[in-house]
Amino acid sequence: MKEKIMAILEDVCGADEGELSPDTRLFEDGILDSFGVISLFVEIETQLGIKLEPTELDRDQLATPALIIAEVEKRA
Amino acid sequence: MDLYEGLGFFLLLAALLLPAVVLGLCGVRLKWYGLAVTVAILLVTFRGWQAKACLAAFYILELVCVEVYAQVRARCDKRPVLWLFLLVALAPLCMVKLGTVTDAFDFFRLVGVSYMTFRSVQVLIEIYDGLIKDVGIADFSYFLLFFPSVSSGPIDRYRRFLKDIEAKPTRGEYAELVRRGIWKLVTGAAMNFGIGNFLYAHWLAPLPESGFLASVSYMYGYAFFLFFNFAGYSLMAVGTAYILGVKMPDNFNMPFISVDMKNFWSRWHISLSTWLRDFVYTRFCTAALRGKWFRDRRTASYIGYVITMLTMGVWHGLTPAYILYGAYHGVLMCLNEIADLRWKRFKQIKRSGVGQVIMVIITFHLFSFGLLIFSGRII
Repeated sequence: MKEKIMAILEDVCGADEGELSPDTRLFEDGILDSFGVISLFVEIETQLGIKLEPTELDRDQLATPALIIAEVEKRA
Repeated sequence: MDLYEGLGFFLLLAALLLPAVVLGLCGVRLKWYGLAVTVAILLVTFRGWQAKACLAAFYILELVCVEVYAQVRARCDKRPVLWLFLLVALAPLCMVKLGTVTDAFDFFRLVGVSYMTFRSVQVLIEIYDGLIKDVGIADFSYFLLFFPSVSSGPIDRYRRFLKDIEAKPTRGEYAELVRRGIWKLVTGAAMNFGIGNFLYAHWLAPLPESGFLASVSYMYGYAFFLFFNFAGYSLMAVGTAYILGVKMPDNFNMPFISVDMKNFWSRWHISLSTWLRDFVYTRFCTAALRGKWFRDRRTASYIGYVITMLTMGVWHGLTPAYILYGAYHGVLMCLNEIADLRWKRFKQIKRSGVGQVIMVIITFHLFSFGLLIFSGRII
């Protein structure tokens, strides 16, 4: 699950494999934007079958890959 | 008496907030007292039977709409049903906006309808999303009518608001809320009545009504005036909310240091831009990505920005100036995104010293020109 989410994140952020660490500050560093979040949610739904509603998580809960993975795993 | 205007209002506010502070420090939850204060202040500030009747009709319609939809959603998750309820909830807002351009709807006038409608629409959408299951009548009434932000925002979120009104802060936590609330109230009043009014009286008011140089001067003056006026008002609303135990989100965060337009919209009228992001832009883009509407995924984002910003323009009013203001920002957001994606050095420039300063100056001029359109002076 972790690897899959990291791969989706790298894809939507346009990052190279291994470029993102679990603690990368996605919004502060300008890596993830609003459209990136939407793409992330749609890909998680398509590839993992886990549906996240647009206002279910705020930006603090999506701040790093580790936090995103934790939130998705909670719903798996 | 008008909200946040004149000595009479502030004396009444102080008289009504003082018991709140005493109750809060004694550990009493302020929900019911805050609701009573809200009703009292709305009765005083919505002057005349017509204003009260319009508010009452609006309130009942929105309440029934939300309560009925919460019941319906438990059995039916069809999207057209949500659209139907959204149309009903939006009807009063549409009537008020149409009333400004045609006499047919002029009978329905309601201060704050724009902000209150945003509150009920987000509740309806979050009921559809399954994030809100039950809507308590008192909770929703308090949220919808919450007087500090009824006429000019900020636009709070129901689930966040609910958490605050159900919370029971310790004496120390509440004392800190009051301290910060008073600070925000005083700072907001200084910005609005002090600096804002000064800028209006000594910069904007003396300017001639036409002429190129006067319009350029008006553009700068209006940008600063609107910031101090609006951010000051928002701070007063947030400060009042804090004293009532509601940690309402701030609406402005130093917009004059924005490095691009995306950054600007995360600093200016934040509660409106995040609302539009969550309930217009995100919805459109999600539907477009799910349905694979466009070959290039980013096309969804560009069209999303234009739709979102046009919605913002129309929400302000149906005049050409507001619609052009929305279209202008839609185009700027698209250009911003294109620069972010296609010009690799752009992100670097925005971060570094001289480049950052230049971007701050460019962004300041871009949004100031937008506000000049918004002001209605040039169209």
